[in-house]
Formats: sequence, C-alpha cells, structure tokens
Amino acid sequence: MMFLQVKGVKKYFKDIKAVDGVTFEVDKGEIFGLLGPNGAGKSTTISMISTLVKPSEGDIYFEGENIIKKPRNIQSKLGVVPQEIALYPTLTGFQNLSFWGHVYGLRGKELKRRVEEVGELLGLNGRLKDNVEKYSGGMKRRLNIGAALLHKPEFLIMDEPTVGIDPQSRNHILNTVKQLNKDGMTIIYTSHYMEEAEELCTRISIMDKGKIISSGTKDELIGIINGKERIILSFDNINEVLMGKIKEISSISKVEVNGAEISIITTNTDLIFKDLISKINNTGCQVLSIDIKKPNLETVFLHLTGRALRD
Amino acid sequence: MRQLKYRDIVLKDLTVAIRDKKTLGTTILMPIVLITILSFALTSSFHDFTSVEQIDIAVVKNYNMENEVDSLMKKLSSGELGFKTSEEDLQDIKTLVDKINIDKMFFDEFLENKEIKKIVKYKILDEKTAMNELEKEKISAVIVLPKDFASDMYINYLTPFRNEVNIKVIRHPNRNISSQIVEEIVNGFANVINTTIIGKNLFIQASMEEGLGKEAFANIDEIVENLTNNLKKYKVQIDYEDLNERKPMTSASYYSFSMATMFILFAAGYGSKLLLEEKDNKTYDRMTVGGVEKRKMVVGKIFTVFFYTMIQLLVLVVYSSIVLKVNWGNTFLVFLICLTSSFCIAGLSILLSSIVYLTGNYNIGNLFETAVVQIMAVLGGSFFPIEVMPKTVQKLSNFTINGLALKSYIRVYFGHGIVEIYKNLVFLTIIGIVFMTIAIYLLKKEERGEFRDKYHKTKAYGNA
Repeated sequence: MMFLQVKGVKKYFKDIKAVDGVTFEVDKGEIFGLLGPNGAGKSTTISMISTLVKPSEGDIYFEGENIIKKPRNIQSKLGVVPQEIALYPTLTGFQNLSFWGHVYGLRGKELKRRVEEVGELLGLNGRLKDNVEKYSGGMKRRLNIGAALLHKPEFLIMDEPTVGIDPQSRNHILNTVKQLNKDGMTIIYTSHYMEEAEELCTRISIMDKGKIISSGTKDELIGIINGKERIILSFDNINEVLMGKIKEISSISKVEVNGAEISIITTNTDLIFKDLISKINNTGCQVLSIDIKKPNLETVFLHLTGRALRD
Repeated sequence: MRQLKYRDIVLKDLTVAIRDKKTLGTTILMPIVLITILSFALTSSFHDFTSVEQIDIAVVKNYNMENEVDSLMKKLSSGELGFKTSEEDLQDIKTLVDKINIDKMFFDEFLENKEIKKIVKYKILDEKTAMNELEKEKISAVIVLPKDFASDMYINYLTPFRNEVNIKVIRHPNRNISSQIVEEIVNGFANVINTTIIGKNLFIQASMEEGLGKEAFANIDEIVENLTNNLKKYKVQIDYEDLNERKPMTSASYYSFSMATMFILFAAGYGSKLLLEEKDNKTYDRMTVGGVEKRKMVVGKIFTVFFYTMIQLLVLVVYSSIVLKVNWGNTFLVFLICLTSSFCIAGLSILLSSIVYLTGNYNIGNLFETAVVQIMAVLGGSFFPIEVMPKTVQKLSNFTINGLALKSYIRVYFGHGIVEIYKNLVFLTIIGIVFMTIAIYLLKKEERGEFRDKYHKTKAYGNA
C-alpha cells in the first residue's frame, strides 16, 4: 500500500486551471520534492493533500483511505509548514507553540515536553519567551516549522520553508529536514530552489503550469538531458563570422542565440573549450562573460520548458 | 485526536487582545479617562436630574360633576343633611360652587402643577381601560376618584360637615417605586386639602361661638382661594434617599453607565476583524489543516468577544466604584446586565466579523467604529441623558444596544428590580441571537461557495 497517492487531481478557480491532472505517489520514509517556478501549482497541490482545498476532480489516498471523503484520516498524522509565517506575532514563541500543540490535543506535561524538544531541535530554546514579532526572519521560519512538529506527525508537508532567509537559518532548516526524515518522517518538500531539492529529495516531480512535466530521482531527471552541458557566452555583438566559426566545431549538439548571448549545448565541454576560445578570436566580437552550466535540475527545467526556474 | 477546546481559542485571543495596545487603549483606557473627565466637568449639570423618566398614570373619574352639584343643592335645600339652609345661604353656596371648580382644582391646579408635571404624566380613562393598561404595565398606577367625589368635596369645603373622601391609588406590583411615588403625591394632595378643611371648620366653629355664623360663611371663599393657592404652590418633595436608599443621579454615575455601555460597542468593532485576521495570517488555514472545524473557530470568536466585553465592563464597574465612588446598585442585577450586554455585543461582533471576512474588507469594521458607534452613542444617551432628547430619539434609543443597557443600569441604580429591567435584558438577548443567526447563515452561504465567487478571492496556501 502506497503511503500517499495523488490521482488525476485538478483544481479550477473560476476559469483558471491551477492544477491540471496531477498524478504522483509518495513512499513511506522518503523526501518527495515538488519543484517548479512560482505559480506552477505546487501550493495548490499541497493544499489539496492537506485537506485545505477540495479538488475539482481526482482522488487523493493516504494509507489507502480517500482523504477527500474523510479528511480526518490524514489530519492527525499530518504536519503542514505553510509558506507564510502562520503565527501570532504578539504572542511569545512558547505561547505560539503551546496553542498549536493544543490544536493537536497536546496538554500539560506532554505539551511542555514537546515544546522544549521542538525548541531544542530548531535552536530556539533561548528565545521562546520573546514575542515572535521580535524574531529575525530565520527564527520565525524555524518556529513556523516547529508549530507543525509538536504532535510528531508521520507525514510532513513543507511549502517553500526557506523563502527569504539568511544562509545560516537555511542550513539549519535543511539539516532539520534531514534529521526528521532520518527519524522516519515522510516529507513532501516544495521549492523553487533546485539545489535544495537536489540536496534533500529522494524523488522529485517537476511542475509547470499546473502539470507535472517530469518525475524521477535526481539522476533520472538529469539523464533526460543526457549529461549535456551548456556554455553560455555573452558578447558585445554577434556577427555572421562568429556564428560560422562556432558551427565549425564538432561535438556541439545545439547552438541557441538569444540577443547578444549564445548558448552552446555539448556533451564534452573540456574537449571543445580551447577550440571555442581560439575560434572566437579575430571575429570582431568581444566576449563579455562565459558561464558553464553543468547538468542539474535547473538545466533540466530549462531543457523541458525553455525557461529558467526563477523566471 | 483530542480536540482544541473553546477555552484554548478564547485564552489565545484574549492574550492577543490584551497585548494589542491600540485595542486596550480604545476599549478600556479611553472610557476610564472619559468617565473621570466628564464626571468632574459636568457635576453641576446633574443637580436637577433625579428621575429616570416621567411616570405614566391614569385617573378614573367615577363622579359626574353636574349631577353631583345638582344633588348637593337639592340636599341642602331639603334639609336632608340635618339642617335646612335658607334661600339666601343657598344662593351664597351656589355662587361659591360656581367659583370653586373641583375638577379644575384637582387636574389643572394640582396635577398640572409645574413640580408634579415633572414627575407624573396623566391621562383620564374609564376604570376598565385603566385597569387593562395597568395590567399591561403601560401605566404605573391608577388614581380612582370615587363617586360623590365632587359633592363630598363641596360639602367639606362649604359646610361645617366633613365627609370622608376616599381617593384610591391602585398600584402595579411590578412598578413598586414609581407607584409609590404616585401614592406620595396623592397623599400630599390629601394633606393640603385636610389642612384647609380643618382650618375652615375651626374658623366656622369659632365664628359660630362668637355669633358670627353668617360672616363666617361669607368668608369661606377666601379660605378656598387660599386652598387653591396652596395647591398651585404645592411642592412635591420626594426623598429618593428614603425611597430607594439611593443618592440622586450624579454625573459620575451617569457617565460611568453611559461610557461603559458606549465603549462595549468598540469591543464589537475589535471583534469584527478577528476572523479575517486569522485568514490573512494563515492561522485560520493552519487550524483547518489541524482539523479544527470552522464552527469551532466562529463560536470561539463569539466567546472571545463575550469575555472581552465582560472584562471591559467589570474593569469599568470596579474603577468607577472605587475611584469615583459610584454605587451601581444591586450587584446581581448589574452582573446580569453585563452578561446580556456582552452576549449582545458578541452577536453584533460575529455578524460584523462575518461580513468583514466575506468581503475581505477591514474598512467595514473601521466604518462601524467611526460612524455607527457614534450614532448609536447619541441615540442611546451615551453623551447626554436621553430625557433631554426629542421623543423620537427617545424611542429610537430602545433599539440601540447601548441605550437598552444604559436604561437598565440606570433603573438598577434607582433601586428598580428585575421586573423593571427584564424586558430590556430579553431584548438584548434577542438582538444577540438574531445577529448570531444572520452571521451563521452568511458563513454557511460562504461555505457553499455562494459568496466566494462574488467577493472572496479564494487562495490556496502560498502562491499557487
């Protein structure tokens, strides 16, 4: 029995198709990544899984039970970390965690113990007596995660948990996610930072315009582009002489021109690089920058959609 | 999974409210400051304000003036009264009867007396209608002027005899204080008359002993004229301290009641933003994901505003009692008014809250605070005693929450019991229930999606 099954789920808001027939499965104990740019439909998809929004079509099963018909089947086992800071700014960290603990039925000593444990896990124990409005952005993000962990959920959904924070807090959060998964928690992690998905996720689905355009492990996804690298050259101008010289080079799979920028797709950058530089000389075009992109999820997304993830 | 308790929602919301300096300033600090300032600034304006409102009474005339005068003249001429009056004396008496109008004396000189008019408003009714109105508590008491009232009064004034005149005051048991006041007034009338009659009889007796009977009768008109003057000058002295064991209304008392009842409206204004704030902060969604039903969140908000208003009222009661020495009256009744007013405010608040939530517009709550509260304050008597306002405004005050609560506090202050405030309390409760029902209807409609398309841009977690 699959831990989570999302089958042909659609969601329309008036005439807008926010999610258009999404299907995927999540195994118990994995970190499943939903990667895609803003507006791809990731948040709507997880809102449907977390029973906040009802799908217009399709079904979602959690441990074999249909959660659209019986949302309670998932609610007690689920923790959700929303993208926004869903906390009470004028209350202290302790009061916030206590309230969210109450939501999941925690009381008395058990609640106090869990607040301390969560505070410890997220490195907030020294600051729990302070009002949340006095916290830094990173601390608010960590507390936002903590509020979803109090009841020790089996399943955690994290929606862009690292948006707009400093590298230190980001690292803390990523390490926390790894630790939680190590302790047996199944996690869906949405992000538009491909490096986070690469670092954390066992399997990834890439979403765009409400649809899943590709799914698999990191290596499987990168395999889509057959290990092709991309050399992006920026010039002061581009002329026919330059284009002719570049096309003379063998081992180039594709050349794309975008304004004063040329993208060269190749399977072997090391082999062509010296040749490329010598050919550019004496063409009358001056190189302003050179960027070599190794195959990663970013390039996979670019390959699949023709757009960058953060466009 | 154990459920989130209402207590958790209320405690969280109350903590949030108490930490919100703006809310605390508007709902608690501001009324305290205003009560204090107005109490001292308007002390002199409250010297004449001693009663809540005019007492409505009915007067039943069981006598017929013309018939009784004819019958009296016949009795005097026939000697039925034990002596025979000469033709000359009869003529004198007839002149006096024409001069002294008993009706005029009782109604125009006495009940229309400036002092009495301030307290009592009368209407003449037949006995059946009067009793019916008394039963329905449209009036506080009925004064019954008996059959033979006019003839007995003339006999008492114009002859050496004294007939008993029994003016009945029928009181409604629920209108204890007001009917007691009416009885005091009637007793005052009787006293003035008795004093005059005794004086007149002594005068006649002394004149007879001196052999001046004829001159004595000739001077009776002067005595009666004095009586009329006495009635005109009659001053009603109702000692409220004796009657109610209360001091007269003071500016401190009035403004404690009026500011408390006005500023609870701001608690409704505060409450109006609670649901939308939860939605905007995404805490509403987070609770939904945690399995908290919308019904629980809405009822939680009702409880929050109810308890907040109770706290607000109790703080103002305690402050005014300790610092300004205001005696609010019967503690149980004051508490009961606080309870019903808070319930009504909670209803108003959840109605506003549902409208603000459905339209996604905080300005509706702001508009309520800046415009509606001010209008209700004026209509409800929060700025000036409602008695100085035009009749229409006085009637409208019965449809304002602060007006109903204020009247109830004032009545309790004057020593009235539950029977004289229960209608206001029932009305406040009904208003609260009606507001809550409308709010639930609107929110249910939203759940079915009928509002969502019209006003509310539905948004999932995050950006997409």
